[in-house]
Amino acid sequence: MIVLGRWLGVAVVVCFLTGLFSHFQQSAPGWVYLPSRPASLYRVTQGLHVLSGIVAVPLLLAKLWTVYPKLFAKPPWPPSRQAVAMVLERLSILVLVSALALELFLGFLNTLQWYPWPFPFRQTHYALAWIIVGALLVHLAVKLPLIVAHWRRTPPPVPETGGLSRRGLFRTVAGAGALVGIASVGQSVPALGPVAVLAPRTPGIGPQGLPVNRTAGDAGVGMVGADWRFTISGPERLTFTLDELRALPQSRSDLPIACVEGWSQGARWEGVRIRDLLALCGAPDASRVRVVSMENDGFYATSELPPQFAADPLTLLALRLNGTDLDLDHGFPARIIAPNRPGVLQTKWVDHLEVLS
Amino acid sequence: MTRARTALAACGIVVGLWGLWLLLGNLSADQLIRLPLWLGGAVVVDDFFLVPLTIGAGWLLTRRLTGHTRAIVRTMLLYVGITTLIATPLLLRQGKGINPTVLPRDYLRDWLVLEATIVLAGVLALVVQRLRRADGSAGSRLRTARRF
Repeated sequence: MIVLGRWLGVAVVVCFLTGLFSHFQQSAPGWVYLPSRPASLYRVTQGLHVLSGIVAVPLLLAKLWTVYPKLFAKPPWPPSRQAVAMVLERLSILVLVSALALELFLGFLNTLQWYPWPFPFRQTHYALAWIIVGALLVHLAVKLPLIVAHWRRTPPPVPETGGLSRRGLFRTVAGAGALVGIASVGQSVPALGPVAVLAPRTPGIGPQGLPVNRTAGDAGVGMVGADWRFTISGPERLTFTLDELRALPQSRSDLPIACVEGWSQGARWEGVRIRDLLALCGAPDASRVRVVSMENDGFYATSELPPQFAADPLTLLALRLNGTDLDLDHGFPARIIAPNRPGVLQTKWVDHLEVLS
Repeated sequence: MTRARTALAACGIVVGLWGLWLLLGNLSADQLIRLPLWLGGAVVVDDFFLVPLTIGAGWLLTRRLTGHTRAIVRTMLLYVGITTLIATPLLLRQGKGINPTVLPRDYLRDWLVLEATIVLAGVLALVVQRLRRADGSAGSRLRTARRF
């Protein structure tokens, strides 16, 4: 069924490209330049990543269903060139189907933050993505004559798959894709939040009306006292109390929290622009900045703001969220909020900025 | 065509090997041994559980039906099946989110409402189809009316 395959292919490509973007956001090689605008770019790409993955589930199952009889086709015998080619083709399909099915499973469970498998999620999800694309290219190479014939509108005769006509089948599968899409996309499109019955997140639920990925309890961070200090070290080293930070010129940014798990929600942040802090300590706007948190976990404890993010006037050391002081779970007393970044890099409980260049 | 196919296949093999290289570099030996079991498991679940279940259930529940009725009931069953499949992890993890903002809904209630809605929509489609068939002239009358 080439039409189904085409749509599944579109979903896989969208999922792969948006996933690649997310990967670069989190561990960018030196040659990748990530812009800080559009501010909601990551929100859109990661929402699409999870949406295309969920929609791919009915497409993959339908595709497997239409080719099901081929699974039981007699293996070629005696060995010949064609037989070898057929075995190789089947191996490539085995790689494609197993990797894609597992990939969708891993991805969906990750949106629930549930990891019942004995290997690391991020590395496995990323490596399998390349294997899927590779196997897909091989599959396209094998099927190219069929695909070209289909595009020239001279489809070779394909046996009907009983019960549903080809067009009826496609409509049914498209409907299933739309159904699971609408029932889950509300975790990144708040207007559809009330019907997001298949989504692990619902907008508006959480402290200050915003969901949380990592709580202060998870991070081992407690409430801070009056002796808390924020330090920025650049050409000059400056130290501020919380009241002194509040006395600096405050700016407002309407920016979303957009997480790798696909959920996202806009919020109103108030605090001090990073570029203003850089100017105070005598560093240029476009400096690379290391952000240090009070968290004790090595992976989340620090993040880096590339120069273009530090210079962006929307990037704040935020002190307030939606009109009140940050909740402890949202990073009290101070956190980073920057445009076009995954939530995992919006470091919370920040007490130190270090100018690197 | 042959050249395009060879190029595509060669690209595919290089890209696939890059993925394999990433796996070998990032997973421990123990994890690399278990990963194929999960990959195999994914194929077994799809090809020897989900697809046969779909075919079997579809055949069992619609074998006495014909034509449009059969198509409507099958579509309804497929929608119930796919939404249930995706709802299963949510139902299993209900109340076990790592913090109260993960999995905050009553997923059992939501799932029941969703399935009831799908079945209701299917029943409505069946009723509309029956009415049309019972009053065979209705369709043609409508069509005539539209012409004026």
